[in-house]
Amino acid sequence: MQPVAANWLSERNLVSRWSVVVSGLVNAVVVLALAVTIWWLLFAVEGVFKLYTPLLGFAIMIWTLLILLWQTELLDFWPVKRNFLQRSHGITKGLTLTAICLLGLVVLVFGVVYSLIGRYGITYFNWNSLAAFGQLGQDPTTSRETASWALIALSVPFFWMTVTTMVGLRDDLWPGLNSPRSGFANLLWITVVSIPLFCIFFHPHLGSMFYPAQVYTAVPPWWKAIAQTNSAEFNMGWIFCIVVVTFYTIHLWSGRPWSLVDKQPWRFLFVLAGSFILGVAMFKLELGVMDYFWDEAYVGGQNEANFGWRYGHTTTMATFILVPAIMLNYLFSKAFERMGRVARGSLLSLISVGIGLLFAWAYYQAAPLLLGVNRGVSHPSENPTVFLLLVINLLVIQYNFFDGWPGYRLKK
Amino acid sequence: MKRRDFLKGIAATSTGIAISSGMGPMLSSAHAAGKEDFGEVKSVKVHCISETSWFDNATLGNDIKEAGGINTNQYDVAYTKDNLGGYAALIEIEALDGKKTKYLLDSGWNTEWMDYVFAKDGVDKMLKSKEINTIFISHDHIDHYFGIESTLKHQPDITMYFPGTSMKKSFELLKGADFSKTPGCPKNSVPHTGKLIVTETNKLYKVQDGLALVFFDAPATLQCRGENVLYAKIKDKGYITITGCCHPGILTLINHAKRNFKDGDKNYGLYGGLHISVFENWDPKFDDLITGMKTYNLSKIACHHCTGWIWAEKALAAGLPIVKGTDNYKSYSKVGTLAKANTSKLYIGNGDSVLFG
Repeated sequence: MQPVAANWLSERNLVSRWSVVVSGLVNAVVVLALAVTIWWLLFAVEGVFKLYTPLLGFAIMIWTLLILLWQTELLDFWPVKRNFLQRSHGITKGLTLTAICLLGLVVLVFGVVYSLIGRYGITYFNWNSLAAFGQLGQDPTTSRETASWALIALSVPFFWMTVTTMVGLRDDLWPGLNSPRSGFANLLWITVVSIPLFCIFFHPHLGSMFYPAQVYTAVPPWWKAIAQTNSAEFNMGWIFCIVVVTFYTIHLWSGRPWSLVDKQPWRFLFVLAGSFILGVAMFKLELGVMDYFWDEAYVGGQNEANFGWRYGHTTTMATFILVPAIMLNYLFSKAFERMGRVARGSLLSLISVGIGLLFAWAYYQAAPLLLGVNRGVSHPSENPTVFLLLVINLLVIQYNFFDGWPGYRLKK
Repeated sequence: MKRRDFLKGIAATSTGIAISSGMGPMLSSAHAAGKEDFGEVKSVKVHCISETSWFDNATLGNDIKEAGGINTNQYDVAYTKDNLGGYAALIEIEALDGKKTKYLLDSGWNTEWMDYVFAKDGVDKMLKSKEINTIFISHDHIDHYFGIESTLKHQPDITMYFPGTSMKKSFELLKGADFSKTPGCPKNSVPHTGKLIVTETNKLYKVQDGLALVFFDAPATLQCRGENVLYAKIKDKGYITITGCCHPGILTLINHAKRNFKDGDKNYGLYGGLHISVFENWDPKFDDLITGMKTYNLSKIACHHCTGWIWAEKALAAGLPIVKGTDNYKSYSKVGTLAKANTSKLYIGNGDSVLFG
């Protein structure tokens, strides 16, 4: 058996071009400026491509992030060779890897799911199929949003299983297997588990999006008594909270507490159960915060009084904090290197929450002007998560693909 | 506190009221210590002048999609002109002493259509003779406000309640602007000269004994915000709400009455669009609304327009008292293409009236 090679991210060493603070700030400014520029090009209603409908934009961004994760964490930058990663300039590497990611997005999401499955299997994955076969209510605008929601819903269990595999399993299911084989094997495992999860947690919602409800192909939402809503935003909320809380542990706590357990299957079970507990706790905490500010939601309430909206908004709230958490890890972590793990994690967590709250306030104040979105927190056709995901995607691309250019460079 | 207890057992303090109404208004300063009592009326009759804001959903949906989607500025969308109708209602209040007063709610969209429906119901003459001397603009959305010229041409000095959050261009339209370069967008060649009451959050506007207007700063599509909502208290029956589109959400409105008005837990009925399955689309959340509505024991639900016939049909099946329409709509020069609208009298349609009281 050949020894398993270290993955590229653990092998490479990035150094800042200037002081850590200056390099980090430069990178943060570059990412935010690029995010606003891309927003106006791809998403804004007065922009060029107008893809922020808002769900289509959400679907594109969430799947882009998922593919970035697969590319970097599971496939170890396949199909690019290690030699290329070691020798190429950050910009060359960044452009190549970003192109591969976008190609993956087109092939997987708009090729396999949208075109193939949506046309020959499940109608709701393809807005043209919905318009052609759905008839009732499936006008161009509605059908695009329905299909986009289906794509988002599909991403949720894939995300959950991806982070659980990344942290809880790594390559332990396939000992001795080198990349990209181990990555593809993990992807297969993730797919096998995620599809049933999608069927259980989201398909009932999608079956209820038509009239009459498609009860012979999807059971009515079974979570109604628990969630006080028929909407699968409930499931989206708690699952994404698990995902985000796991990212907090990666970026703020250097993988603690998961790294305390190494032996399988205990590590996997520890991650599965631990992230569930932490994620659901955060979900409940966020709902409590919303109850405090807006009073309790009620069945059939509108906007912020709606249970479904609140469940979905937990993801937005959590992501506002995730953005500074990632920035701190990618751009400023070297400034905290000398601190003890607990002190460092606590301080970074506090800073992330503080900046996250500030970021949320700034978003709702400035986004109508900067991004051309509507004013208000609970607007029915707004979702700040789309912009936040765009920022996260750019941070991941900058750090992993461009070797942190311009503020950082690869130490050869 | 349990969620349902919070709503059902409410004896809210003014602070609680202010917060819990979500985006809704607080108590007016004059009544901050107690609950609003704006009197009673004997009955309210609402006549549907037009609820067909557009005639084909897919055509409007496509126009909006082409312009960039539902967050586009409504003045930037090129609409298919043949598809445009409008929303308006005639409200007749019978006071306790039997005196009747008429009000106009909204002025529709396409002025050709609005001129036609106004003439069909004699609204044009009522405006000219000042039998109607007040109009409530529920909100400045395309289909409720773009046809303002059809009202002003008959009575430029009409008293008008206008949402304070309306778009800048909507205020300009009132003064006589022309945006008709973009297909389907409005022009107004008759500037408004009458009393303009720009409504604000935190205020209740008593229109007459038993009739009040409350402004809710709620989000809506096409970059609009806010909606004026009418409340009438009918003697021995309870409160009704009269809405254009109900963007704040019907349960928000009912709860507002419950928390803020004297005898607010007596809910009698409603008239208007409820903004649910607008484009014949469905979402499991809309089922929640049926569940929620059932807990309020309304006696008459005269919904239509942006409610969506699917919701009305499902609500009816679930036992909610949906007021059925008649064949009157068939006598109009144009009928919507909605599959059911042509064949069913599921809810109040053009030319129908509903009496509360």
